[in-house]
Amino acid sequence: MSAVLDFPVKPEARPYLDAFGGANSGEPEWLSRERQRALNRFAELGFPSRRSENWRYLDLQPLQRDPLLAGEPRRDVQAPAELQLDGAGARLMLVDGHCRGAAVRDLPDGVWLGSMRQAIDERTDLVRAASLGEAGAEHPFEALNAAYFEDGFVLDIAPGVVLDLPIQIIHFASMSGAVHTRNVIRLGEGSRATILETYAGEGRYWRNDVVAVRLGARAELTRAVLVEEAGEAVHLAEVDATVGPEARFSGFALLIGGGTVRHEVSVRMAGEGAQCRLDGAFVVGGSEEANIVTTVDHQVPHGQTREMIKGVAAGRAHGAFQGKIIVREHAQKVDAHQLSRNLILGQRAVIDTKPELEIYADDVKCSHGASVGELDETALFYLRSRGIPDAEARHMLVEGFLREPVEEIADPALREHLLRRLTQRLEKLEG
Amino acid sequence: MMLEIKNLHARLADGREILKGVDLSVGDGEVHAIMGPNGSGKSTLAAVLAGRDGYEVTEGSVTYRGRDLFAMAADERAREGVFLAFQYPVEIPGVNNMYFLRAALNAQRRHRGEPELDAGQFLRVVRQKLKLLDIADDLLQRAVNVGFSGGEKKRNEVFQMAVLEPRLAILDETDSGLDIDALRVVARGVNGLRTPDRSIVLITHYKRLLDYIEPDHVHVLQDGRIVQSGGKELAAELERRGYGTFGEQPEVAASA
Repeated sequence: MSAVLDFPVKPEARPYLDAFGGANSGEPEWLSRERQRALNRFAELGFPSRRSENWRYLDLQPLQRDPLLAGEPRRDVQAPAELQLDGAGARLMLVDGHCRGAAVRDLPDGVWLGSMRQAIDERTDLVRAASLGEAGAEHPFEALNAAYFEDGFVLDIAPGVVLDLPIQIIHFASMSGAVHTRNVIRLGEGSRATILETYAGEGRYWRNDVVAVRLGARAELTRAVLVEEAGEAVHLAEVDATVGPEARFSGFALLIGGGTVRHEVSVRMAGEGAQCRLDGAFVVGGSEEANIVTTVDHQVPHGQTREMIKGVAAGRAHGAFQGKIIVREHAQKVDAHQLSRNLILGQRAVIDTKPELEIYADDVKCSHGASVGELDETALFYLRSRGIPDAEARHMLVEGFLREPVEEIADPALREHLLRRLTQRLEKLEG
Repeated sequence: MMLEIKNLHARLADGREILKGVDLSVGDGEVHAIMGPNGSGKSTLAAVLAGRDGYEVTEGSVTYRGRDLFAMAADERAREGVFLAFQYPVEIPGVNNMYFLRAALNAQRRHRGEPELDAGQFLRVVRQKLKLLDIADDLLQRAVNVGFSGGEKKRNEVFQMAVLEPRLAILDETDSGLDIDALRVVARGVNGLRTPDRSIVLITHYKRLLDYIEPDHVHVLQDGRIVQSGGKELAAELERRGYGTFGEQPEVAASA
């Protein structure tokens, strides 16, 4: 089906227009309308150009030359057991973008965890309210996602409900093609939860993931993301979070696998006294690329932001961090601090870091710091002088460098899981 | 013979010659003190023996237990039993002290063909040594030397030495910056390691340390050479006369 459009279509968007199948069967009409509207938007926007500030560090040429369209999901696939978080209170598995049953251990009353398809019927208001509106020019793939998504997950927690055990969502991809998933996490007033989302797979695929996070007053969410995609995979993720009064959002991202990985988080600090932590790290080797892009927008007074992002690049890899903190004119007494620290191993790896503060209020405390360096030779000699072989000593220093943000995670089972996966990744990283 | 240094010359990357023909023999079980003023080459000698980068050996040889020391990389020297206690122990954020020390001990055990120790076994080995050096258990759980006081860092060096049980220990100004109580603790740790098959080289500026660790031999290093050697009474003489006299009157010193 090819739509007739009354504006110029970007050539690289054409294959996606031509392949668009329209509505999924049995879908409500409002959704079909939104899909078409989003597709038109993507046709208008096309792929982001390298001149676009938000995308300047990522090379999307291969994807642009060789489009990945929706593929045929496989039914016979099992995700490796090592991806599972021991001690999770509930686990939901998505294979090739489709929810594949849940292992749920007594979730308390007031917790709804299920597929996006199911939520469209059972949680219609939430899904519609969390729809992100018209995608801005910086977010063309959000529009493509809105047009193409087939499934995803929704976690909806009623006010006052506290989840003691972490929830894990495993996104596993095994097909050749594009996987567009759309997800919503909503925490009602005063509720609390920890969630780990693991992204992994095999083969050449493009994952385009969109997550809406909505936190009510005094709600507390820790959302950890572990990206260990296949070596040829493209992973583009956009998180759009709104944080209510005195609510706390802790977003953590550990990017340790995937050919081209981009993790973008945009946080709207919408309630007074809201707190936000964005911590994380990327590790790239070979010819991998990874970007962490964050924007925290303080719209009201008394907000607090803490960011610590670390990066390690080896081989011919390229990593980048772009972090923007905005403090609006009336958002007085905001306290924001951002730190980007990076380590380059070898002569050919590259890391870019671009911290940015945009401050319009006059009574604020904001700072940022950024560094890119090499392994500390003095520390290396100290370890070797105790008999630790050179390769092992280097490994210990890199791991020590990366542990800091991970150790900020409060849940012990989650912290251990992330450290274990990180250690395994580092064992394969070239010096 | 534990260590035999012959006519050792070494220079910095910028070409400055620091060691200008050091000769020294250390027998099994002996404790040697190397004293000298600032800039005499004491720390360079320690660094060259431990295998630190940034120094070039231009002449001479060092034999450690019958083997050419310079044929071994720094980490191999350590696994073969050479230990350097740093004058300025290095802070390593993110690396847990206990994890680090177990990795070091296990590297040595692998090298000798012995089985590695797991965390529980390792803890049993270190417990008693912690007590000897008056080190709190929680120090093990912290990152290597991060947030340690000067005294804690030095005690941590001697603690590592106690755990790794080297054959040849070189202590580079381990006494500097220590108050008298910390000095006693460090000396107790070092004295506890004196055995007939372990040799210790103490590098120090002051005699004070030698009141607590009694050396068998004392050497004066000046301008990159050992200008005087003697028994422990030489340390007392140095304190009385100062270093200056040795360089100026080598003949007198040699006949003393």
